[in-house]
Amino acid sequence: MVSVVILLVPILVLLYYGLGPLESPEGLSGAVLRSIALTLVSSALSVVVGALLFTPLAYYLARSKDRVSEALVDIPVSVPHPIIGVALLILDSPETPTGQFLLKVGINFYNTLLGLVAALVIMSAPIYVKSMQQYFEARDTSPEDFARGLGVGRLRTLYSVVLPDSMGGLATASLLSMSRAMSEFGSISIIAYYVLQYPFYGVSAASVTIFSLFSGAIPGGLNAAVTASAAMILVALPIALAGHFLRRKEND
Amino acid sequence: MIEVAVSKRVGAFSLEAEISGGGFVCVAGRNGSGKTTLLRSIAGLTRSDGYVKVDGGDVSKLPPERRSIVMVTPASPMLHLDVDSHIMWGAKQSGVPVSGDRVKEIKSSLGIDFGGQVRRLSLGMKERVSLATALLSGRRVILVDEAFANLHDKEAFMVVYKGLAKKAGADVVFSSLDSSDGRMADHLFIIEDGKTKAAS
Repeated sequence: MVSVVILLVPILVLLYYGLGPLESPEGLSGAVLRSIALTLVSSALSVVVGALLFTPLAYYLARSKDRVSEALVDIPVSVPHPIIGVALLILDSPETPTGQFLLKVGINFYNTLLGLVAALVIMSAPIYVKSMQQYFEARDTSPEDFARGLGVGRLRTLYSVVLPDSMGGLATASLLSMSRAMSEFGSISIIAYYVLQYPFYGVSAASVTIFSLFSGAIPGGLNAAVTASAAMILVALPIALAGHFLRRKEND
Repeated sequence: MIEVAVSKRVGAFSLEAEISGGGFVCVAGRNGSGKTTLLRSIAGLTRSDGYVKVDGGDVSKLPPERRSIVMVTPASPMLHLDVDSHIMWGAKQSGVPVSGDRVKEIKSSLGIDFGGQVRRLSLGMKERVSLATALLSGRRVILVDEAFANLHDKEAFMVVYKGLAKKAGADVVFSSLDSSDGRMADHLFIIEDGKTKAAS
């Protein structure tokens, strides 16, 4: 129990001071609320993209026991997160052949919603893949075996037999990876410090805005950073807790 | 007609099984004797050495979906479907036309008196639905892994199923803990410590 309290101390401190003694109007300003909205939207988008791209991978890992691919999936979250931001920057730089090609076909990561979502997908997908992999591993394979015997290939079995009966697992993995995306700072502070597109023109993600308030890059100072952090916690906590409780319910 | 000679080693357990025959084939043996491993090897769901031939054609190298062999276990049902969709599901995948009347007839013959979500059925009723699905799927061989065991009218059901499978042109290989189930079968194989021997 003491260990849990130790882990929760930073959260409780922020909630107490941010909504109490240090409460600052700048911490709940329109700019902060827009940044929280951007964080919610971009994190939700990253979950949708992640689910579309990585559910088959999670299924493959669960059924194939391919330990090499399993280890590779963990790499993005194992390296310092700014590295991913730098990598996306180089990938899409006009100075590199890949960047020249991507920019030519209209794909621009730098300070765009696309770049923000791309970074969040890379940083949150490993959490999604792990969660879905565990879910698939725990499932009885008998209905899949039955479907394959009825003439259906592995990929179609995933879409027509496994996923329609996996809404709980999908919801849990999505919420957990959304929580992870909402907490990202390192990579997005490099690739998309601001988003320079409608409807979020000039808006930063919440984690970046909190850092900017703290560092004085935007007016507010420490008190505003603490209040904005408390507001962000109030938004993020229900999503993290819902993911956690859904997972427990799945396991029971 | 199915001809099988497979071997597989799993830890200390070694499967070396041979069965052959058509119609209604029973593989009887105690828990842990290798029945499920044998059926999974035939279905291509477990890798094994040897061969599996269906009507003389070797299907050993084919993936499960291309063997024309379906395996039914008590846990086979696809729970998100309703009963009628489930029963027609296999036929639909194979492009075998199945009329509503045919579904009604099969349901009535196999004692399926429910039309809602498969998820809400009892274990025995779920097994009936899976067995009906396999029957209408047009697969050449139906493997039944102890899926007859939970039916209250097991013997009567097996007689009906045997007749329907014959009519559908499918051979049935079923496993059982009870060797007396072999009296219903055209061929009986006893499996013990992974080794089979023909009993009739």
